[in-house]
Amino acid sequence: MAGSNEINLNECKMVVPLNTWVLISNFKLAYNILRRPDGTFNRHLAEFLDRKVPANANPVDGVFSFDVLIDRGTGLLIRIYRPATGEEPQLNIVDLEKPVTAEVVPVIIFFHGGSFAHSSANSTIYDYLCRILVGTCKAVVVSVNYRRAPENRYPCAYDDGWTVLKWVNSRSWLQSRKDSKVHIYLAGDSSGGNIAHHVALKAVESGIGIMGNILLNPMFGGQERTESEKRLDGKYFVTLRDRDWYWRAFLPEGSDRDHPACNPFGPNGISLEGVKFPKSLVVVAGFDLVQDWQLAYVEGLKKAGQEVKLLYMEQATIGFYLLPNNDHFHVVMDEISNFVRSDC
Amino acid sequence: MVLYDSTALAGNSSGSSSSSSSKPPPPPLQPQQQQEIDGLLAGAGYKVRSSELRKVAQRLERLETAMVNSPADFSQLASDTIHYNPSDLASWVDSLLSEFAQPPTCPSEFVMDPVTNQTVVNDAWTTTEPNMPQVHQNISYEQQSLNNQLTVVTAMEEDSGIRLVHMLMTCAECIQRGDFSLATSFLEDMQGLLTRVNTVCGIGKVAGHFIDALGRRIFQGIGGGSINGGSAYENEILYHHFYEACPYLKFAHFTANQAILEAFDGHDCVHVVDFNLMHGLQWPALIQALALRPGGPPLLRLTGIGPPSPDGRDSLREIGLRLAELARSVNVRFAFRGVAASRLEDVKPWMLEVNPKESVAVNSIMQLHRLLGSEPNRNSPVETVLSWIRSLNPKIMTVVEQEANHNQPGFLDRFTEALHYYSTMFDSLEACTVQPDKALAEIYIQREITNVVSCEGSARVERHEPLARWRTRLSGAGFRPLHLGSNAYKQASMLLTLFSAEGYSVEENDGCLTLGWHSRPLIAASAWQALSDAPAEFPAPDTHRPS
Repeated sequence: MAGSNEINLNECKMVVPLNTWVLISNFKLAYNILRRPDGTFNRHLAEFLDRKVPANANPVDGVFSFDVLIDRGTGLLIRIYRPATGEEPQLNIVDLEKPVTAEVVPVIIFFHGGSFAHSSANSTIYDYLCRILVGTCKAVVVSVNYRRAPENRYPCAYDDGWTVLKWVNSRSWLQSRKDSKVHIYLAGDSSGGNIAHHVALKAVESGIGIMGNILLNPMFGGQERTESEKRLDGKYFVTLRDRDWYWRAFLPEGSDRDHPACNPFGPNGISLEGVKFPKSLVVVAGFDLVQDWQLAYVEGLKKAGQEVKLLYMEQATIGFYLLPNNDHFHVVMDEISNFVRSDC
Repeated sequence: MVLYDSTALAGNSSGSSSSSSSKPPPPPLQPQQQQEIDGLLAGAGYKVRSSELRKVAQRLERLETAMVNSPADFSQLASDTIHYNPSDLASWVDSLLSEFAQPPTCPSEFVMDPVTNQTVVNDAWTTTEPNMPQVHQNISYEQQSLNNQLTVVTAMEEDSGIRLVHMLMTCAECIQRGDFSLATSFLEDMQGLLTRVNTVCGIGKVAGHFIDALGRRIFQGIGGGSINGGSAYENEILYHHFYEACPYLKFAHFTANQAILEAFDGHDCVHVVDFNLMHGLQWPALIQALALRPGGPPLLRLTGIGPPSPDGRDSLREIGLRLAELARSVNVRFAFRGVAASRLEDVKPWMLEVNPKESVAVNSIMQLHRLLGSEPNRNSPVETVLSWIRSLNPKIMTVVEQEANHNQPGFLDRFTEALHYYSTMFDSLEACTVQPDKALAEIYIQREITNVVSCEGSARVERHEPLARWRTRLSGAGFRPLHLGSNAYKQASMLLTLFSAEGYSVEENDGCLTLGWHSRPLIAASAWQALSDAPAEFPAPDTHRPS
């Protein structure tokens, strides 16, 4: 097992504001308690500790939300966020699914992070992030409450993403006036970014058009130990050991990290040359230990002739986008907004 | 006799503690104190006072060190310990630290400044204070609830279902405006549409009940008609089937019993006051748990409050006798007393015959909301009842309420909230296949719907209010929260998995537990303790109970 257990607390203290440090350290501590060495997960305690917030069909700061049960069998729930137009005095089920009115309305299907094991669509941190996305992108956001590892391994999360994509694509009320089509973007942070990539792959195979992919600190990896993993192991909230644990929990039993789910451009990956893959915006944090894999992903897309923009945030750690108290947050939100609005 | 000065507690966060300075100040009681809380962390679901951020950070650091030094032990200990209220990050971190037998405040955190000879905090955090304007999104969940939350979970509806909902809302709006003739024509349209909609499940099912309720309101007026005249016997039957058909009442009983059991730990004379005995379904489990407790069971007295029986039967006594029989069979000394009252506000504390040496638990399962009169500011029954509960100085008061805002003054708001709440509840009932439990449970729920929609004034008793409001009210009445922990959470979750369909979820909410259907909490359970006035007895500020 590569990487040391040494914690160099002083380094990460210097680069994030105090409240961010407290938030992410709290997660780090809690997550450590939840992961068991035998690969099982203390799900009850995880759900107890996770802070959640219900949907609110009354607008708060111009955004309202409601949940939809897409699949009773798997309990697949999504949370839809919409901008309030300020006209409707009272909302009811009819208004919730009122057709979008603009010529072009981006619909962002969002996959929350948590390394495939943690968090939910109704986690407070992700509810907050989705609301921000609605405001900055003037978009409808659909947050997916996908099934998590280790109870539900690959490909459950991808399947859930695919189910939601089909659902969103078939909603007449989400169609942009311009072309009566739903303008879909796939977005996600950490494991959510990984899911976005794989759902886009499936979409391409099936002929559903995706306008773009937005990957925020996406979770990728591989069997090899990269330079960034060795250099940054344990320095900025994340250790290689925990990354390994989550891959073992998500990937099929007996797989290694060169499984294409983990390493899409690795030895078992498929080529994207000639494939009509959506344009991608990939955000990489300079203090994220898996950045070499994320950069390799960007290279892989480029080599296959795909349109990709890399946003490398040198001084950013994981989770920088969870609180709006740093410049990286605002830069990235602007970039995402431009990425999405450029088609409007 | 405990004297209670409500003004002293309501506005003053430091309470009445005036004793020795070695006692740390008590935690803030009132939501106003949230001004000091870090707004960004609050937006993420954590309440940490800005002034405490550094301290919390230092303790997190110490926990990390402990973790690194002995990872296996840490994991084990931290998993096995009982966690309370994760939103209160400072307390959570402190409780973990104390698990590792490290005192929360340790002098080595500070170094002596050789020049000034004063202790200086030793840390290396960047001192950049966020220069952000107050972001409105960062209001806590509690604030949001007070600001008119409306939670909707829908399954996909057919067009006719959606049309029906639209008509329901429009009809309700007409009623609010006083346009009864237009409302009546909508009613007729809806009754017609209902024949063409799937009424077996989904919105069609619950729509029928709402159409009925609107009809009552229009034609029979808001006096309540015969709905509340249902006999106590009928109510009990419906209640029993509601109990069987879905887990809401079982969750309420189970969670309350857990809390009561813990509160009674170490006490030999205990007295439970049940605000609504019904068939006493809650108590066999408590009696059995007390029988099995290490050190032996206490003497248990149970006082059950319920409506008087009309036909000369003493149904309260009958239930009491059955419970006594059970207690005898497990060797628990038991005494029962029934208090017959048609309304909770008619009960006077002397009727309960509480002995000052007993530890008292007051148990209210969906009863307190009935005390919220239509005129909330004039010595409402709830203030009176909460006051005498407090005078009993109970060790614990368990409160379970519907997690809904059905007491809003505006009819349309109330109607909308009820439509979504009850359609979620009906949706959860779909999973039940046992008859006649399911059918009778539906009638039980239907009665609530009818009361919320078609009654006003004293006839409207189903005045449900959300947890956030109850917190404010109970804190203001001199109670402090006793947090329900991860053990109660886990057991409730496990019971659900064993006995109920998929889709139910237990959530932790600032020390309370809620049970809901998918992402919508429907029932909230909380536990409280009366604050004592005597300074010497002022409770320590930690909100954890002995484990």
